[in-house]
Amino acid sequence: MATLEGFRTKDFLEQITILNDIAGGKDPQFLPALVDLFENPTGDTGVDYMVVGALNAVLGTNEATVVQGLASKSHPFRTLCIRTAGEYAFASAAEPLERMAASETDTDLLVEILASLAKIRPAGGAAVFRAFLEHPDTMLAAMAMEMAGVYADPLALPALMDTIGGASAEGRFETCDITTWKAIDALATIGTEESLGFLVRCVHHKNPTARRIITDALVRLGEATLPYLEPVYIHGETDDRILACNIAGFIGLRKGADALVRAFDSGCFTDPNVRYAAFEALGRIGTLKGLVCLVDGLEEDDELILMAVVTGLERHAAPGVLKTIAERIRAGSENSPRITKAIVASRALRLFQELYTDETVGAALMDALRKSQDQDILDAFAHRLEQMGTDRSRDDAASLPKIKATTRKALAADDSKSMLALYRNILTDLGFEPLLAANGQEAYAFVESGEFVDVVITDMNMPIMDGVELVGKLRGALGYEDVPILMVTTESENSQRDVATKAGVTHFITKPFKPAAIKTTLRQMLGLPLPS
Amino acid sequence: MDVELAKPFVKAAMDVIGTMAFITPRAGKPFVKKNTIATGDVTGLVGLTGDGKRGSVSISFQKTCAVAMVKNMLGDDIQDIMQDVKDAVGEITNMISGQARAGLAEKGLVLQGSTPTVIMGDNHSITHIAKSPIMAIPFETDQGNFTIEFCFE
Repeated sequence: MATLEGFRTKDFLEQITILNDIAGGKDPQFLPALVDLFENPTGDTGVDYMVVGALNAVLGTNEATVVQGLASKSHPFRTLCIRTAGEYAFASAAEPLERMAASETDTDLLVEILASLAKIRPAGGAAVFRAFLEHPDTMLAAMAMEMAGVYADPLALPALMDTIGGASAEGRFETCDITTWKAIDALATIGTEESLGFLVRCVHHKNPTARRIITDALVRLGEATLPYLEPVYIHGETDDRILACNIAGFIGLRKGADALVRAFDSGCFTDPNVRYAAFEALGRIGTLKGLVCLVDGLEEDDELILMAVVTGLERHAAPGVLKTIAERIRAGSENSPRITKAIVASRALRLFQELYTDETVGAALMDALRKSQDQDILDAFAHRLEQMGTDRSRDDAASLPKIKATTRKALAADDSKSMLALYRNILTDLGFEPLLAANGQEAYAFVESGEFVDVVITDMNMPIMDGVELVGKLRGALGYEDVPILMVTTESENSQRDVATKAGVTHFITKPFKPAAIKTTLRQMLGLPLPS
Repeated sequence: MDVELAKPFVKAAMDVIGTMAFITPRAGKPFVKKNTIATGDVTGLVGLTGDGKRGSVSISFQKTCAVAMVKNMLGDDIQDIMQDVKDAVGEITNMISGQARAGLAEKGLVLQGSTPTVIMGDNHSITHIAKSPIMAIPFETDQGNFTIEFCFE
């Protein structure tokens, strides 16, 4: 039988053996002696930690002592009791803890009290947390917001919405507070019509980090988000519509595709950027109706939109789809060369392989391919032609031009695959070897690995690292102080451009643009002669 | 609840740096990181696992702050400043991780901490592998700044 008599005079091994026994047996008779050891530590860190462990174990079987301890004059013991009450979710501790929460002013202790209450989760506890939603201590406010979500507290909505709204105020939207993050997550967890409707309305939040958290939260909610997106297609601003399309694409559910198709059919998507986003989303989801809509998209005359359409169709190369594309190419209409060009530029190898079997269509595709200035693309298609292994395909592979190696490089960062394909096209046309990155971080990795480029094209909003931050980092990197940087953006707010200019962007171009326009801009930025 | 997990690390950082390096840090307003990259001149990093979760905590110091800590800890007995900074940051990170985990263990949250890794290099960057947002807590000291970054999922 373990005993704590003469504990301090015992050697280390005996001490820890005794404490281990007590922690295992949880006998309340040791409480007074343990509390004494806890309040007057032995000075040996290892033993003192074990005292805490043993005391915690014994307290775990003594709800009444823990509740009493909440009023202890000894600060450490009181804190331990607060923690233990939470760990074992002692219901009778809730009421005294709630009272403490109302009167305590020390923020460290308040965090302990709220954390403990969060674990006990007493019925009707929402009010306690609600009182801290606007607390000046960010950590406390953030905890209160998490719990507003857990309790699905409708009365917390105004404060949560205010937090998110306030974060877009002038001068405040450059950093994202943790309260903004927690408020967004809480609204998503509460999941009522009001809270989700609000989040969808904030989808184009001025703060890029908040915007990403909102997008992630809405994507995570999946089907529950979809009904709120449809009104945005009809009434939203252009940027809101684009983001709503992206979200529907990421959610990837049939219902989302149906709503996109409905919006197309009722003429909501007239803006080219919105059409682009909608086609990209439909490509991602890939329902039958969505495919029909994508096939209709082959009529688009905008090069960029066509690339989104082709990228989408490439993912779902069904026989019906292939037949229609082949017909469009064979028709020899104004759009036929645009389609073949889009297939080449977006590296749609699957579509290519299937369509190539028809000789006429194959010849049209080869025409487009021979015009490419991009060695990577030529190599990829040549490899595929070799793999196909027919005499015709081998001859065609051999007939492809060899582009002489370029020494100048250019870096392009965009999270959209089709945009990257477009940049690749433009940059190789201008004689650059393109380095392509799906976000700022990938782009910066090129720089870190010692690559040097003559020009950078970047999107503004990208996941992981956005364009503004990439530009800031580039300007701090050796040799990149003066490299021309072109930012492509759909943002209309001037304030966002100010941030980007401050970070070091040389020039902006607004989507939509014709490839020719971006080429001219790049030539001007680089001081290259303009084509006559 | 990540706030509950982060708070002990903040407190431990203030305690350890205050007691060991005689530097009083002032905590700034926590914020959500835009990306997953931590930037600094010297970074101590520990991985954490336990309670069905995993994550990492990093403490990135500006060079001036790291050097001031070493000087305060070792006095004039500095042999090799690079090696000493590395050791000191590793040791401080270890102590912070240990103290914070001891606090969390009192709440029944037992986390295992990895041996700290120290990364040095002016304005280097390291990446937290995480899907969830990363919380950053900036600190100011009279000798330079440091940032604690915390991600847990």
